Amino acid sequence: MANAREILSRMRSIQDTRKITNAMYLISSTKLKKSKKMLEETEPYFYTLQSLIQRILRHMPDVDHPYFDPHREVREDDRVRALIVITGDKGLAGAYNHNVLKMAQEWMEDSKHNRLYVVGELGRQFFASRHIPVEEQFHYTVQNPTMHRARMISSTVLEEYQRQELDEVWILYTQMVNSLKMEAQLEQLLPLKREDFSKIVIPADIYQEDIRMVPSPSAVMDHVVPNYINGFIFGALVESFCSEQNSRMMAMQAASDNADQILSELSIEYNRVRQAAITQEITEVISGAKAQKKKRR
Amino acid sequence: MSAFWLKIIASDHVFFNGSCEKLVVPAQDGELGILAHREAMILATQEGVLRFLTPGSSQWQEAVVGLGIVQVANNRVTVIVDTAERPEDIDEVRAREALERAKEQMRQKQSIREFQMSQASMARALSRLRVKKGPTNLD
Repeated sequence: MANAREILSRMRSIQDTRKITNAMYLISSTKLKKSKKMLEETEPYFYTLQSLIQRILRHMPDVDHPYFDPHREVREDDRVRALIVITGDKGLAGAYNHNVLKMAQEWMEDSKHNRLYVVGELGRQFFASRHIPVEEQFHYTVQNPTMHRARMISSTVLEEYQRQELDEVWILYTQMVNSLKMEAQLEQLLPLKREDFSKIVIPADIYQEDIRMVPSPSAVMDHVVPNYINGFIFGALVESFCSEQNSRMMAMQAASDNADQILSELSIEYNRVRQAAITQEITEVISGAKAQKKKRR
Repeated sequence: MSAFWLKIIASDHVFFNGSCEKLVVPAQDGELGILAHREAMILATQEGVLRFLTPGSSQWQEAVVGLGIVQVANNRVTVIVDTAERPEDIDEVRAREALERAKEQMRQKQSIREFQMSQASMARALSRLRVKKGPTNLD
């Protein structure tokens, strides 16, 4: 059994750590409040945009458009795939970053030519330490996502896609399912896939509405798709930011609870050790006194 | 006059959700008016000013909008834009500064991407300033 002083110094260090985790808990809970509000305001946009683009894709006549071109002429081995990875700027957020990075690594195994667009400092350092090249001129923070930042990111990726330097564009972000559950999501942004929506079987007797695209389907696509990508990236940024704060809050709460538990165990142990020491001392004093008594007699 | 359901969703809030009689959106090739029971269509909009008239009101409501998509289906119109602001919420000074900044950037040598970005921010600043100068009279 450790001695009382050792236990005390251990308790003190746990108390100090607990102060930090508790402070981080408070910080992330205020940030979460802010980001949750942001998420709530963005969600209608994010989901309406997705359902709208699906609707467009359903009704889209067969036209050749760069955003639909699957680049079939490029061989499987030569395909250049881009991935926008959204991680946090800092760690200490439970499994949040690990889930994303693990998924990113799995994704990278599928093909040889990968280009990573990493948003968030932690992800950048993760790939740098593994000597995996990431795009250099791509420094965006994940704190407080703005439309402007989403525009910068989407225009970078779209420009390279239009220059045919990229054959596929994917995005990896963390979706906040509910306040207890966050899920890393991998989605393909470009090229848009039409067959995704053909799964739904439409009965023959149902009137299939015809949607007119003004001025022309391809002109609509020219404008709608960049807008959609932009909106999707913004929504993904907000979802990820919110998930990050939430997982940090949960991790810090768990850490504080853990510290409390260890502290209570340690204080019991400390009391026992102290009691044992006192008992031992008393025994020693008494036995000493007894020995003296015997001597005197 | 018959009305239709209008929903205007910006990236950071739901701007409007209610019935509407007339809607004018800034399309790629000029403004486009939408009345009730219009045929189903999808339209891309530009940075500019969107107007709509709600039933029982004679005052057009205006909004400065960014790039967006308009969907008309089953007498429901959904407008999805990246930004939407009421004229009274626009900070004229900020818009003017943004315009100056965009002009400055346009003068410098830029890549195509940077050019498109400054062009877009210029268009946003201009449409904000235009609506700030006073409501446009339509009727």
